[in-house]
Amino acid sequence: MIAAPVLASFDGAFEFIFTPQTSNVTGGKGVGGIDQVLELALTQLEVTVMALALALVIALPAGLYFGHRGAGEFVALGLGNAGRAVPELALIALMAAVIGVGGLNLTVALAVLGIPPILTNTFVGIRQVDRASVEAARGLGMTEFEIVRKVEAPMAIQSIFTGIRTATINIVATATIAPLAGVATLGEFILGENVYGPDGVLAGAILVALLALALEFSLAGLQRVLTSKGLKLRPA
Amino acid sequence: MASPVLLAAAGQVGEGFIQERSSDTLPCQAKPSHLFCWDWASENIDRYGTPALQQLELVLISVVLGFVVAFALALLAHRRRWLRPPLLAGTGILYAIPSIAFFLLLLPLTGRSRETAIIALSAYTLQIIYRNVTVGLDNVPESAKDSARGMGMTNRQILWRVELPLATPEIIGGLRIATVSTIAIATLAVFAGAGGLGTQILGEGNLHFPTTILIAGGIVVAMAFAFDAVLLTIQYFATPWRRAVSS
Amino acid sequence: MPEAKATSESQSQPGASSVSYEGVSKRYGSSGALAVDDLTLEVPAGEICVLVGPSGCGKTTAMRMVNRTVEMTAGDIRIGGESVRDKDPPQLRREIGYVIQQIGLFPHRTIAENIGAVPQLLGWKKDRTQARTTELLELIGLDPELGERYPAQLSGGQQQRVGVARALAADPLVMLMDEPFGAIDPISRERLQNEFLRLQAQVRKTVLFVTHDIDEAIKMGDRIAIMKEGGRVEQYATPAEVLMAPATEFVEDFVGADRALKRLALMRVSDIDLWEAPLAHVGQASAEVRAKLAEPDVEVPYPLLVDSERRPLGWLSQRDLRSETVPAKPDSPLGPLLDRDDIMRDALADLLQGEAQYAAVVDHEGRIDGVLSIEIISEFLKSPEAKTEEHSAVERPHG
Repeated sequence: MIAAPVLASFDGAFEFIFTPQTSNVTGGKGVGGIDQVLELALTQLEVTVMALALALVIALPAGLYFGHRGAGEFVALGLGNAGRAVPELALIALMAAVIGVGGLNLTVALAVLGIPPILTNTFVGIRQVDRASVEAARGLGMTEFEIVRKVEAPMAIQSIFTGIRTATINIVATATIAPLAGVATLGEFILGENVYGPDGVLAGAILVALLALALEFSLAGLQRVLTSKGLKLRPA
Repeated sequence: MASPVLLAAAGQVGEGFIQERSSDTLPCQAKPSHLFCWDWASENIDRYGTPALQQLELVLISVVLGFVVAFALALLAHRRRWLRPPLLAGTGILYAIPSIAFFLLLLPLTGRSRETAIIALSAYTLQIIYRNVTVGLDNVPESAKDSARGMGMTNRQILWRVELPLATPEIIGGLRIATVSTIAIATLAVFAGAGGLGTQILGEGNLHFPTTILIAGGIVVAMAFAFDAVLLTIQYFATPWRRAVSS
Repeated sequence: MPEAKATSESQSQPGASSVSYEGVSKRYGSSGALAVDDLTLEVPAGEICVLVGPSGCGKTTAMRMVNRTVEMTAGDIRIGGESVRDKDPPQLRREIGYVIQQIGLFPHRTIAENIGAVPQLLGWKKDRTQARTTELLELIGLDPELGERYPAQLSGGQQQRVGVARALAADPLVMLMDEPFGAIDPISRERLQNEFLRLQAQVRKTVLFVTHDIDEAIKMGDRIAIMKEGGRVEQYATPAEVLMAPATEFVEDFVGADRALKRLALMRVSDIDLWEAPLAHVGQASAEVRAKLAEPDVEVPYPLLVDSERRPLGWLSQRDLRSETVPAKPDSPLGPLLDRDDIMRDALADLLQGEAQYAAVVDHEGRIDGVLSIEIISEFLKSPEAKTEEHSAVERPHG
């Protein structure tokens, strides 16, 4: 029935991942195998991490600052909205066509994708912190900077992390089509059916999904570790 | 006109230009430096119609399907708190998997078709909508529920007459986010063999034609904003007691 | 327990400083209304000054100008002689205790970490902070074990007490309290008020306390400043003075028409001169008792039967005195029995409830001290001596 061909496809894909094989499409060229897989996966991971770091450096301080001051709500929210509307395919393709291909350009483009969720979620998270705690902190004698660092940010940590996780998901997903911009990530398999064959395509999809899930679980774990126990309790 | 030598040095221009051909005689699309070719655009604008509609169709079906499922799940978990962690984790997994990968993983099962795209796109919307419905219901003031219970309303009546109406802004907020995101992601439906504006971007393998990318991308963004505005208006009118709070 | 601070100024007590407002004003905007208008008053070290008035009278604004969470537009405020402008605001605030109505505990930190917040800002060593935290938890009447819990696990009343402990942690010179007991039910509020007064008796801080409740002001304050909309002080005096001699019509209205009754809450039975009733012992010749009754300056026309220790047993009627000797069982029961230390307001309530005209007042050993009547109370309230009664802050009665 349906099961047999499905299993066969997945079987072929798994084989592709682990053993290098001669391409049954172009003939003669060695494709697949764990080495190539790791190389592409590492590139994707690298690009993702760099882009995320860049996005964090820009968006996190901005979100904390504007959230604390209570200004720029329109920009912070509007940017979040606008960011969601941009199709990643168009972004990458445009970047490649106009600015040129290459790792640096790609990282910047990916960081641009990651900024809106981090900025918006950080902003909203800080705004929603209980005003009484902030006022008490100020009255105790904390400087504005200390208030953000010791009170607002820890209390907003769930929201901030949601933003970081969303940004990561967006970046990883877009990094998949990075081959269009000249950077060889796991999307290489997906986009190059005429080289890697249908097994390669499916293998690429599996690997991308696994990579994305691995990142998501790591961040979820990190969030749990960083969230104070006091915030997870239900009021007595 | 800039000196041909300079242009050549900047690497922006191919051999042909140094031979002092007037830029007017070459068609716009052959010049990669041109961002937007108006002539080409006006001539070829019709080719975007069908893909746009295809994409829209995919989005509408996916969002409605996703909403129905996520809404049902949220209602299920509303009074059964033990269901929440697994549901949140489950929808979270579906959300985290990049859509391209999702499309391709489904290919062996459902083939190159609209169904593949719809399943994957719906799966993506689940967490957004589920979370917003759950949070919306949680934020209903205890006092409203208390007085309803005191009046003699059954649990079901409280849900439909008190809790859900009060959770409406949050729910529509979730719909907005889901819709806007899905419109953008549906551009990739080309990988599922379901058409959409992605076909125009990838084109016939010609990735370096900014005009078509801009038009296709622009249409996607315009559709996204249009739907956002419509839903925002609905949110505004659906809650006369509380003028729209941003999502 | 409060660390002794070397002071050269007479304005400071160990652990507390005076606070003085000098022509302080606050104006919002260049031509806005005055929230506080030329405020000048002095709070002696170790006293509780209550700022009380209707909403919008500027009381909270006035208090917050002390720790500069609101900046004054004119005038100066001095703490122990030093202007508050001399220090950087965060620095200043670390030396002032601050308690607000919504408490504002940090939900992401434990109770101990909350209390230790200012010591941590000041760079105290860990053991010193820990010792201080334990000390404070005991002081506010909480099990030191609760230090490891989080705010969400405590009740509202407990959280409120932690808020006070947090303000006291670094042993500040001044405490600012903005309607700290406002958000609590009346029963818990009364308990918290009493506990705070007990605490204050031990630590003797200078406290600026804001409330809109005149009864709370009278109970808590050594001095009260009654403020009116527009930020003016109508009267700044002890609670007794405010009740007996309201300076303006506004003060009179604000205090309420029952201010005479309110004054009774400030006094004890022992504060006034009691009447004396002729005493009778069991077995005494009735003729003697009748003779005492006949004396011209007798204050209470009924004899009081007492035992050999002068403890009252009951009131004697005319019928009782018809026999040769005073009987062992009097006709009328004793009725309400008051203690010298009872609060006058409660004594009046007992009198009214017992439907008695006279009530015997006894001392700590139960021996007769005098007799109280409603007439005595009302005459006292009218008399000129009443106006000179003063009570020290610490010994004031509380229920």
